[in-house]
Amino acid sequence: MSAAAAEATRPVDRSRAKSRAAWRRRGIVLAFMSPWLVGFSVFFGYPLVMSAYLSFTHYDLLSPPRWVGLDNYRFMFGTDQQVWPAVKNTLWFIAIAVPLQVLFALGIAIMLSRARRGVGVFRTVFYLPALAPPVAATLGFVYLLNPATGPVNTILGKLGIQGPLWFDSPEWSKPSLTLLAIWGVGNTMIIFLAAVIDVPKHLYESAELDGAGIFSRLRFVTLPTISPVILFAVVIGVIEGLQYFTQAYVAANVAGGSATYSAEQANKLGYPEDSTLFYPVLLYQQGFRYFNMGYASAMAMLLLAVSFAVTFLIVRHSRRFVHYQGAAR
Amino acid sequence: MRRVLLAFGVLLMLTVTGCGGSSKSASSTSSSTTKVQPANITIWTPFVDPELITFKKVVKDFETKNPGIHVKVIGGTNDDKIVAAIRGGNAPDVAQSFTSDNTGVFCPSGAWIDLGSYMQKDGVKDSIFPAAPRDYSKFEGKRCALPMLADAYGLYYNKTLLAKAGYKSPPKTISELTAMAKRLTQRDSSGKLKVVGFNPFPSWYENVPAHFGPSWGANWVDGGGNSNLNTPAWADQLRWQKSLIDWYGYDNLVRFNAGAGDEFSASNAFETGKVAMHMDGEWRVAFLKREHPELKYGTAPFPVADDKADLYGAGYTTGSIIGIPKTSKHKDQAWLLVKYLGTNPTALAELSNGIQNVPTTSASLKSPVLKPLPGFQTFLDVFGNKNTTTTPITRIGAANQETFQSFIAKYLSGSKKDLEGGLKNTDEQIDAMEKQAEAGQAP
Amino acid sequence: MSTSTQAAPVAAPLVRRRPPAAVRRRRFLIAVANHSLLIATAVIFIAPFIFIVLTSLMTSQQALSPKLWPDPFAWHNFTDVFSKAPMWRYAFNTLLYAGLGTLGLLVSSIPVAYALARLRWRGANVVFLITLIAMMLPPQVTIVPVYVLWAKLHLVGTIWPLVFPNWLGDAFSIFLLRQFFLTIPEEYLDAARVDGCGELRILTTVVCRLAKPAIAAVALFSFLFCFNDFFGPLLYTGENSSHWTLSVGLSQFRSLYQVQWNLTMAATLIVMAPVILLFFLAQRAFVEGVTLTGVKG
Repeated sequence: MSAAAAEATRPVDRSRAKSRAAWRRRGIVLAFMSPWLVGFSVFFGYPLVMSAYLSFTHYDLLSPPRWVGLDNYRFMFGTDQQVWPAVKNTLWFIAIAVPLQVLFALGIAIMLSRARRGVGVFRTVFYLPALAPPVAATLGFVYLLNPATGPVNTILGKLGIQGPLWFDSPEWSKPSLTLLAIWGVGNTMIIFLAAVIDVPKHLYESAELDGAGIFSRLRFVTLPTISPVILFAVVIGVIEGLQYFTQAYVAANVAGGSATYSAEQANKLGYPEDSTLFYPVLLYQQGFRYFNMGYASAMAMLLLAVSFAVTFLIVRHSRRFVHYQGAAR
Repeated sequence: MRRVLLAFGVLLMLTVTGCGGSSKSASSTSSSTTKVQPANITIWTPFVDPELITFKKVVKDFETKNPGIHVKVIGGTNDDKIVAAIRGGNAPDVAQSFTSDNTGVFCPSGAWIDLGSYMQKDGVKDSIFPAAPRDYSKFEGKRCALPMLADAYGLYYNKTLLAKAGYKSPPKTISELTAMAKRLTQRDSSGKLKVVGFNPFPSWYENVPAHFGPSWGANWVDGGGNSNLNTPAWADQLRWQKSLIDWYGYDNLVRFNAGAGDEFSASNAFETGKVAMHMDGEWRVAFLKREHPELKYGTAPFPVADDKADLYGAGYTTGSIIGIPKTSKHKDQAWLLVKYLGTNPTALAELSNGIQNVPTTSASLKSPVLKPLPGFQTFLDVFGNKNTTTTPITRIGAANQETFQSFIAKYLSGSKKDLEGGLKNTDEQIDAMEKQAEAGQAP
Repeated sequence: MSTSTQAAPVAAPLVRRRPPAAVRRRRFLIAVANHSLLIATAVIFIAPFIFIVLTSLMTSQQALSPKLWPDPFAWHNFTDVFSKAPMWRYAFNTLLYAGLGTLGLLVSSIPVAYALARLRWRGANVVFLITLIAMMLPPQVTIVPVYVLWAKLHLVGTIWPLVFPNWLGDAFSIFLLRQFFLTIPEEYLDAARVDGCGELRILTTVVCRLAKPAIAAVALFSFLFCFNDFFGPLLYTGENSSHWTLSVGLSQFRSLYQVQWNLTMAATLIVMAPVILLFFLAQRAFVEGVTLTGVKG
C-alpha cells in the first residue's frame, strides 16, 4: 500500500469511529432520558391531547365517548352557574391570599434576620406549621375557628368581641382559608431568610453612609436585591393557587356538617354557598363525582389557558421589578 | 398408551369443568330456584356497625339456604365509591345504594344490569312492591334494581319539652308547628339559642327540600319530565322556611348548629334534648333506643301546609336499592342474593327489625316476624299512605337536588332575594344538566 | 514644652468593665422591643398547635363546650383513635406510597437531570423548557385522561396509579437536580472520563457523591409530598378504604365514624407526628434543602 493510500483510509476510519462514538453517545443519552421520555408521553403529552379531544365529547366512563362538538363549551360559558363563581374564587385566592402569604413570609424573614438570640427556636416555630400535613392542618383550623365552641371565638368572647362565623360564613370562609395558608408559609420564609442574609453587607454600609434609615434601607437595598426570590415565591404561590384543592375540599366537607344518612356523601363542596368552590374543586366535582368527564376536560382546557396566561403575565411584568445581580441568567 | 392418554384427557376435562368457581357460568342456569355453580361473591353496603351486624346475619341466612355461595360483605361504602368502582372495573357482584337517586345513572348506561330476564325466569313480579319503591327502582321502564328497605320521614317530638310548655299533642299544620316552635325555644342570658323548638336551617341533619316538599304537595317535575320547581307550592314552602329562620336569626342558627353534635352520634341535638321537634327518618327510633332510652319522645306524620290539610298523614319516602354491576363475573349467584334480600319476606322483616327501616314488599309489611318498636308504626303508616311521594329519578342522579339545595341555601341566607326568579333559574340549570347528560345520543 | 525627663506615659490597659446596670437594662428592653413583634407572631403561630394538643386530651363533651383546658386529661383518646380507625393500615399504605414513590423518583430523575445538565446533546434545552412548563401546570389539567387510563387498566382503587408515575421522573426533582449538577465542575467529570469511566459510572460514583445534599433534599421533599398528598390518594384510593392513606383516612375520620372533635384532634396529631419527628431528626437536611430550592430556583 502506498503511503498516500494509507493516509486516505485513516480519515475514513476516524470518521467511522467518530460516528460509532456518536451513536454510542446517543444511546447513552437515550438510556438516561428514557424515564422522562416515557413519562412525558404517557403522563403529559398524551393526556394533554386526550383532554382536548374529550372536551368535545360526552364521556362518563360507562359508555364510549360521544361527540358533542362545542356543547360542553356552550354549557360552560352559557348555562353553568357554578363555573364563574369557581373562577372568581380561584382568582380571589391568587389576588389576595398569595400576596399576603408572600408578605408574611418576607416580614417574618426580615424580623428573623435582625434577631440576635434564639433564632434557631424562632425558625423552628415558624417552620413547623408548614410541615403539618394539609388535611391535618385544615381539620385543626376548622376546629379552632368553630363559631360556637372553637377556642378562637371563645377567647374573643372573653374579650367582649363576638367572633365571626369563620368557615360557616360565605364572607369569612375564604379569609379563614387564607389564615390557614399564612400559617403554613414556613417554606417560603426559610427561602427568604436565606436570601436576606445573603444580601452583601457593603450595600447596607454604603446606604447607611448615605444617611438611609431602617425603612429606606429595606426599600432600596434589601427588596431590590432579593427581588428574584420574591418573584420566585410569587410564581410558586400562583401555581399553587391555581391548583388549590385539598384545604378547600376538607374544610367544606367538615364545616358543612356531618354526612346525612340517606345520601352518605351529600355534596358539601363549596360550603357555604359556593364560597369555597374553587376551580379545581369544581373540576373534581364534575369529573369525579358526577363523572361528566367530557365537561371536566373542557374545564381542564380553560385551566390550561388561564395558567399559561397568568404565569406569562407575571413573568413579563417582573422585568420591571426584578433586578438580577451579576450574570448567571 | 393411547388408553392412558384418553383417561388422562377425560380426567383433565372433568377437573376443568368441575371447578366452575371463577369460570363464566353466565348461561348455565336453567329455571327458578336454580342450581348455580358455587362461587364467592362480594356485596357492598353502606351500612356500618351496628346495623352492619344485622345485615351480615341476614346474609348468613342466605348462605345457609344456598350452600356453595360464599358472600363477602363490605360495609361503609357509598354511592360515589360504587359509581367509581364500576367505572374502574373493580365493582362488587352486588351493590347496595342508600338512595334511589342514582337509579337513573345506573340503568340507562347498563352499569347495573337489567334484571328483567332474571325476574321473569324466577317469577318475581313488579307488583309485590308498593307504588313508591316500585317507581324509584326503575328508570324509563327498565328495572335494574330491586328496592330493599325504605325510609319514611315524619316528625319526632320531645314529649317532656312539649308538656312543659303545655302541649299535649304534636302539631298537625305548619302554622301550629311554627307557633309551637317559637314557644318551645329557649335562649340563654346572652341571647344564644339553648333549646330550639324546630330548627329550619337548610341542609342541617335531614332538612332537605325533598323531605319538606310533600307537606306542601310540591312536585319536582311537570308532566313532560321537565324540572318544575317554580311553583306556588315550593314558593310557599321556602317563604315559610325563611320567615322562621329570620325569626331565629340566621347567624344564631349557624352558631347553634356548629355546637350541635353530629347527626349520627349520641350527641345528636334531638336525642340530647336541644331540639324539641325534628324532621327525621324512621331509623331514629333504633338510634334512640340504643343511645338515649331515657328520652320521652313521640312520632307523628309531619305537619302539612294549612291549605293542604287533606295531605296530613303522607310524607316522603325513598330507600335503598340493590343491583348487580355489569362487571360482575357471577351474575347468577348475585341474582340469588339480590332476590333474597329484596323479596324474601322473612329476610326483609329481620332487616327491618334490626335496623328499623321499612320493609319494601307488601308481603313483608304483613310478615309475622316484623316487630316494630314503639314509634315506628307512624312511619309504616306514612309509607303506606297513598299521598306519600318520592323524588323522580333523573339521568343526573342527585345533581338536581344538589342544585336546588344550593339555591335554597343562598335564598334562605338572604344572598339571593328573588325567589321566583331563582326557582326559574334552577329549573333551567337542571334542565340544561339533563340535556347535557343525554347529549350526543342517537334519538 | 517641657524638657523634664518624665517616663513615657503608659497606655491604660484595656479592661472590659461591665456597663452600669441602667445601661444594661436599657439594652435589654430595646432587645425585647426589637423581638417583641417576633415573639408575638411566634406565639400566634404556635397557638394552634397548643389548642389542638389541649383538645386532643379532652373528653368528647368537653370538646363541644367552650372550655379551654382539659379536665380530666383523657390520655386514652390516642389509643381510642387506633381502635376507631385502622390507622396502622393507613400508615402502612402511606409509607408504601411514599417509600416506593421516592425510590422511583430518585432512580429515574437523577439520570435525566444528569443528561440535561452534563451530557451535551441537541434538544437538551428544549426538554428543559418543557420540564419547566410541566412544573407549572396544575395536575387537574391532565387528570381526566390519566384517570381513564388507570381505570381501563383496572388499577383504580390501589396505590399503583400514585407510585408508577414517580418511576418515570418528576419535573420538580429533575429541575432541582439539574440546577445542582450544573454547579459540579466539569473537571471532575472530565477526569473520570479520561480514566475510562462510562457515563453511568460517572453518575453513580462521582456525581451522586458530590450531589448528596441535593439528592437528600429531593428525597426528603418527595417523601413529604407523598406523605401529605391528598388529591391523588382521594382520587385513586377513595373508593377502597383498605388502601386509604393517612391523609384520606384523616379527612374521612369525622364523617365515617361520627366521632367528636377530641378524637379527631388526637388523630390529627397522630398524623402530624411522623413528619415533625422527621424534621427534628433531619433538621439540617430540611433547611438546606429548602434553601437550595430557593437559591437555585
